[in-house]
Amino acid sequence: MSDEAAGLPEGILAHHFSSLDRQNEAMKLGMWLFRSTDILLFAGLFTGYAVYRFQFQLAFTECSRHLNITLGTLNTVVLITSSFTVAMSIHFARTDHPRAAAICLALTILFALGFLGIKAVEYSEHFREHALPGKYYASEEVKVAVVAGMSVLSWLLWRTLQGRYSSRYYTGLELGGLYWHLVDLVWIFLYPLLYLI
Amino acid sequence: MAESALPSDKLHSPDDRHEEHGHSAVPYLVVWIALLFFTALTYVTGTMHLGGWALPLALSIACIKSAMVALIFMHLKESSGATRLVFVTALVFLALLMFFTVADVATRFKPATPAGAPFGTERSQPEGLLEHEMPAEE
Repeated sequence: MSDEAAGLPEGILAHHFSSLDRQNEAMKLGMWLFRSTDILLFAGLFTGYAVYRFQFQLAFTECSRHLNITLGTLNTVVLITSSFTVAMSIHFARTDHPRAAAICLALTILFALGFLGIKAVEYSEHFREHALPGKYYASEEVKVAVVAGMSVLSWLLWRTLQGRYSSRYYTGLELGGLYWHLVDLVWIFLYPLLYLI
Repeated sequence: MAESALPSDKLHSPDDRHEEHGHSAVPYLVVWIALLFFTALTYVTGTMHLGGWALPLALSIACIKSAMVALIFMHLKESSGATRLVFVTALVFLALLMFFTVADVATRFKPATPAGAPFGTERSQPEGLLEHEMPAEE
């Protein structure tokens, strides 16, 4: 096991794993478990949405008309593209192109900022229209996930620039990718449910 | 001895690792373009006012899109059985929660609308009501 970890940056293989492969599998499984609990969290929110939409269809239709479809569609494209750049950064790390991987990660962070920027424009519109139910109604789940994702991505960018990810080890990057893609997955459903009623 | 090894040990033997260089970016590009296409399709069909078919269609497209993200972007296609099982279990419980809740709500007696409520509990909008009530829209 020590020769397997040889040549890798220090501290990658934890002492309690017999091999890097087992550690990679355990890490991925752990990340999928975490993302699955997130799916279940969103399951509750989506179910609440379904119940209220069933009961107050007219209100949902009317409220949806106050949303800017152009900005919503733009945000969908931004998030999809950011998912693509994360996937590409893992691909580049995997094929030993650390510089390209870092560029893709940086692009992803920019797209995440773009997403938040577009959201900010939308919310300032709602604020002007007095369409928000309260002063602090900004803590929407997706945005929390985006901010958390950006922190993860920035950290991964730092590690990539340090040259920690290569064809021999890229699981850390892969886990960050898994985190980010789920934001995209949720938004894929939110887009037609919120904007296109 | 061989039986005690995890499947992953066989999947990623040290010899395999060199083949990472042959890893192709083409599937990611294809999925990205497909996702953009399906987003456009969601937008076009979503603004066509298809009535009762709009929601099932939009959700079907969303399911196709998320399947592509999960399988290709999230590498579920090449993942081990355990990670797939975790994801599928989450989806099963999501389906259980959604199905029984929506089935319950959908088959209840229609509640009465309180007098003076801005929005009723009616399931579909009466003809021409929105145009009457919301002249500010145009």
